Amino acid sequence: MTALAVRAPIAPPRPRRLAVRIASWTVAAVVVGAFVGLDIEWDKLADLPGDLVHYGSLMFSDPDWSMLPEALRQTWRSVSMAWLGALLGVVLSTMLGIPAAEGVGPLWLRLPLRGLFAIIRAVPEVVIAIIILTVTGLTPFTGALALAIGGIGTHAKWTYETVESAPGGAVEAVRAGGGGLLATIRWGLWPVISPELASLALYRFEINVRTSAILGLIGVGGIGDMLTTYTQHRQWDTVGVLIIVVIVVTMTIDAVSGAIRRRIMEGAKVRGVDRSS
Amino acid sequence: MTGASSLATAERVARIPARPRTWPRTLGVVGVLAVLTALTATPALGGVEIDLGAIAKNWTNGADRIAQMLTPDLSVLPRTWQPLLETLQMAVVGAAISAALAIPLSMWAARPTNPRTPTRMAVRFVLNMIRAVPDLVYATILVAMVGVGALPGVITLVLFDVGIVVKLVSEAIDSADSAYMEAGRAAGGTQTQINRLTALPQTWPAYVSQVLYSLELNVRISAILGLVGAGGIGRLIDEMRGFYRYDALSTIVLEILIVVVFIELASNILRKRLR
Repeated sequence: MTALAVRAPIAPPRPRRLAVRIASWTVAAVVVGAFVGLDIEWDKLADLPGDLVHYGSLMFSDPDWSMLPEALRQTWRSVSMAWLGALLGVVLSTMLGIPAAEGVGPLWLRLPLRGLFAIIRAVPEVVIAIIILTVTGLTPFTGALALAIGGIGTHAKWTYETVESAPGGAVEAVRAGGGGLLATIRWGLWPVISPELASLALYRFEINVRTSAILGLIGVGGIGDMLTTYTQHRQWDTVGVLIIVVIVVTMTIDAVSGAIRRRIMEGAKVRGVDRSS
Repeated sequence: MTGASSLATAERVARIPARPRTWPRTLGVVGVLAVLTALTATPALGGVEIDLGAIAKNWTNGADRIAQMLTPDLSVLPRTWQPLLETLQMAVVGAAISAALAIPLSMWAARPTNPRTPTRMAVRFVLNMIRAVPDLVYATILVAMVGVGALPGVITLVLFDVGIVVKLVSEAIDSADSAYMEAGRAAGGTQTQINRLTALPQTWPAYVSQVLYSLELNVRISAILGLVGAGGIGRLIDEMRGFYRYDALSTIVLEILIVVVFIELASNILRKRLR
């Protein structure tokens, strides 16, 4: 009895969480408002499982495997776009991204470069491709260029963020040894950032493999182009083959590239440990 | 004399560690990259035909369009409000549904919260497959299935968001400190109780941050979903593109940029509050 009476006042008061409560009610209101405002016949959703089974069986019960060679050819075209786009994009982003990092480039150079990256990030790849196709036509080359230029937006940002978060010891050492700007970048910065940049470059390739399928929608060729055509013609047995090809190829590329990236990053870590001990 | 100096040199040489031989590996990597590049740039093998002549000949076309885009035509703005609102609603609904689905799925896909290997592997495999299909491919197929409108767009966003949110949150659970969960187990809790009372509160910040991130991505994606008829402002982009109204197109892009920046700022504030 007395023990209880003593313990009760010690218990801290429940924190007042008025702000949290207001925030969560606001979020809930926004979500409910969006659900109500959206012009969707939600009762259509009830048919969806049936539709999925129906179209799923049309696509996958008897896929038209005679389309496989053509599908693989178009996939190779998409992967080619992705590869060349990644290569060009990474080279451009590295050249533009390193001067845009704090401590490397001067402010008058950094700000315009960062502005450029932000603008490119805002423009969807499809719109970039629409501009480029007036120059190079509806060709896979347009796709590769669109991937390269569209990729600069995010990739150059990752590049300067990598540079800025790199440990500065080596840079200081080279500077103290009398190295100029180029020597500092080559011997102080590059050895520190190159593993991460290589890993990011491979990641850019993985992203491009997916995006190249999207670019096919506007007609630059590749697996996305084929998929749109056959979906619009409702040839579901071919669409099934194409989806299987997309999934298998993307997962394989992700797995291989992921393994290489892990090797790059962990290899770099092990070397770091060796040096410090 | 000569003997002594050569001895000293020999001693010094022995002390300096051998320069590591990295050139064979560098050569190998560069070689593989070069071969892959050459293969992908060979039109005869189905690769990309690099046509630099076209750039030299037609670059003015592209420059004209960019010049046109640099003078946005703001008179199109009143027509954009309705599609923009639809885009935002789709983004929020997609993020909300996927957020609800992601809670049990990420618990299922992480090792500490689901020690049973078969179900964990199954969930992970299905999610990998979902992630492997690009978003607009879903949209194209769903539009053909359920018809034009916001519904295929929302389903696309849900599939896309579930893929990334579950991957990132389950990885956060995997790498989180499991001391609390061990305490729960030591106290005799069942796996469900442990997940609900220790793993869930622990991953809450990571989870909210990923959901906000998916909301940002949704606005960007639903800007282009309209190109295939899946609702939102992309429909307008497609229309303006069809009429060669590049000045109006850039107005829409600008509008999306402002909305995205606004959402990014808001979610950054929320994220900071959560930490």
